[in-house]
Amino acid sequence: MMEAVSRCNNTRRMVWTALLSSVAAVLMYIDMAIPIFPNFLKMDLSDLPALIAAFAWGPAAGVLVELVKNLLHAFTTSTAGIGEAANFLIGSALVVPAGMIYRQFRIKKGALAGLVAGILIMGLTAALANYFLLLPFYSRLIPLEKIIDLSSRILPAVHDKFTLVLYAIVPFNLLKGTLVSLMTLWLYKRISSLFCR
Amino acid sequence: MKFLNHLTFGQYIPAESPVHTLDPRAKILSVLVLLTGIFLVRHPLAFIPWGLLLAGLTALSRLPFSMVLRSAKPVLILVIFTSLIHIFFTDGRPLIDLRIVVVTREGVTMAVYMGLRLLFLVLFASFLTLTTKPMELSDGLERLFSPLVPLGFPAHELAMMMTIALRFIPTLLDETDRILKAQLARGASFDRGGIWKRLKAFLPVLIPLFVIVFARAEDLATAMESRNYRGGEGRTRMNPLRWTGADTAALGGILLFVALLFLADRRFLS
Repeated sequence: MMEAVSRCNNTRRMVWTALLSSVAAVLMYIDMAIPIFPNFLKMDLSDLPALIAAFAWGPAAGVLVELVKNLLHAFTTSTAGIGEAANFLIGSALVVPAGMIYRQFRIKKGALAGLVAGILIMGLTAALANYFLLLPFYSRLIPLEKIIDLSSRILPAVHDKFTLVLYAIVPFNLLKGTLVSLMTLWLYKRISSLFCR
Repeated sequence: MKFLNHLTFGQYIPAESPVHTLDPRAKILSVLVLLTGIFLVRHPLAFIPWGLLLAGLTALSRLPFSMVLRSAKPVLILVIFTSLIHIFFTDGRPLIDLRIVVVTREGVTMAVYMGLRLLFLVLFASFLTLTTKPMELSDGLERLFSPLVPLGFPAHELAMMMTIALRFIPTLLDETDRILKAQLARGASFDRGGIWKRLKAFLPVLIPLFVIVFARAEDLATAMESRNYRGGEGRTRMNPLRWTGADTAALGGILLFVALLFLADRRFLS
């Protein structure tokens, strides 16, 4: 009898991870600005293949998809790799908890719990990463007061670095995580029968 | 008409030059040193030697100068935007009073400084991808990461995945384009409605895309297995990387340049 699902070995899993990274890199280019938020925060679906990899083969595969996607993106970068480093950190914070919890409880509730945990940890990581690493780094290109100034025209509550993180960066990442997670919940069961196990 | 054909990953331009033949490891490390150096520049005048260096390297690599400049096009808007913000929103001695906004001396200096910094960061970063094949880059990264292998870091797998992913991006772009058109022909719309509606419109694109990816992955994995691919251990190469004196000289020269400029900047300009 022919197997509906192919056997997984290292080579097969590696090829799969590579192709999902390639999908992620393509999706990273199809980004869109969200109203309300300042336009340096952009929405894209590139975390979706990483979440699917994490659900199918565990958190490490998800992190690899994030890593390869960002390395590829860094080849044609416009921010000398800083934006990519940020994306990698924040994306991994979403993917790792989701993959770890779903690995233990392979039912819909497990997926849901994993995604919720992932979104929360992603929001926290985004806040810490932005506050301590990214905003100080970006402020060497565009002074922080100007980022705050521009953001406060769209979001009046923003008036310093802390409120910028609290009212712009955290909600943005929570929203992004939620949208990507909903897409994953919708998509995963429909395509998971294709993957090697 | 294609929707997605403006995307280019990797912008390698082949030429026979001393820069092209350098070891990719030397080039990656040099670019890291250069980018750090650019971040350490404090005075706008200090960018003059950087410009000269870029011009010198471009001549040495036998690339047309316009080609190198063109690689900064994607960030041009950001550069102009950043500079404008600095011109109009920096306090200091007024230069031109436009009633609503005041252009100050400090503002113009800051605008030039920040604009140049951003521009040079991107120009030097893309100089690497202009003169190095993507395959060489991922080979170079594999070797640079290889000290981490005993710690469990999958350096070979990572390089191999980057190579495979890079190879499949154009294929996937073509396929995505085909699916987008097919769904548009059936009356789908991708640019109307709120953010959630737009994302949902992508589902009928993503599912066929994953089915295609599935077929490609199976084919490629079978092809690799039937050629006895077993991972990085004991694998030989057709063109192994060789670190030569020229690579040491190039990296050393770049280090010296950045160190000297850094000292000069601190001593005479700031």
